[in-house]
Amino acid sequence: MRMSKIVRFAADVLFGAIVIFGLYVIMHGHLTPGGGFQGGAIVATGAALVIVAHSYEEVIGMIKKAVLMAQESAGLVMFAGVALIAIGLGTTFFFNFLANSGSLFGMTVPFGPNPGELNTGGVLPLMNIAVGIEVWGGLAIVILYMLSGIGKKEEA
Amino acid sequence: MRKELSILIIIIFGLFLGLIALDLTFGDPDNTAMDDYFIQNGQEQAATNNIVTTIVFDYRGFDTLGESTVLFTAVIGVALMYRKLVKGDADENE
Amino acid sequence: MIETIIHVLVLTGLIVSAVLVYHFKDLLAAAVASGLFSFLISLEFYILQAPDVAISQAAIGAGLTTAIFILAIRSTKRYEEDAP
Repeated sequence: MRMSKIVRFAADVLFGAIVIFGLYVIMHGHLTPGGGFQGGAIVATGAALVIVAHSYEEVIGMIKKAVLMAQESAGLVMFAGVALIAIGLGTTFFFNFLANSGSLFGMTVPFGPNPGELNTGGVLPLMNIAVGIEVWGGLAIVILYMLSGIGKKEEA
Repeated sequence: MRKELSILIIIIFGLFLGLIALDLTFGDPDNTAMDDYFIQNGQEQAATNNIVTTIVFDYRGFDTLGESTVLFTAVIGVALMYRKLVKGDADENE
Repeated sequence: MIETIIHVLVLTGLIVSAVLVYHFKDLLAAAVASGLFSFLISLEFYILQAPDVAISQAAIGAGLTTAIFILAIRSTKRYEEDAP
């Protein structure tokens, strides 16, 4: 079973805009409200829109389960890996070793209200990206598995 | 009898929650010493404007690691349950 | 003053949408009313100056939960039956 052509076309058009907005929330997590979890949930909502609108065979052609599973695992490994690198550098677990270093994401921030700069934050943007990838894959694959659970039943 | 009893329980529970809510104050919490520390040093130590992100990912990073692990475990559980349900699916290649 | 009026409107909408979820016999309409409840509660979080929680609630509560309900309705029946 699939929804009407209007719903399917609207879902396809809105999917791109929702993904771009979710990636914006993930990337600007250290400047504006939001962050990895919120941005990943927004992208997963876009995937859920496509999954609900289309039939099982169409969704299987568009979204691969293996890709989402790899995304989720890679996000968690990257999150723990960034925290473990700090131990390798001789500091404590979860130490922010990139902050104020002048390299990647290493600009300093003056005290008080200011407009902000994207190239700040140390390891926080990396952790936002890792959690965003993980939540994106995790929440999307839950809905995809639920659809595959009912997909067999609908054909009968 | 059952209906009156449930209405009575609802009224008692509502009064209980209402009495608790009378003591709460909204919108103007006092700053503790830890709040002041985060606000004074957060921007300098983590080089970030968003103090919420600083606390979630830097000062309280262990909590976020646990949260990610909980999400991962929940998804693995759902995947295991539904894989048994949809056995014989051609897409299940792993 | 204007803030109090917005609070009262949002809270009234919350109660109305919660009653609508109970009232509908069409389960698809009940799922949409549940999504409206989540959206209004995220608006309330935003008014109370918690934008992080508001974004989470809007994405998870109004988006993903409604999608899961709609998938469940697709695989079962759309209309609620009278209790035996």
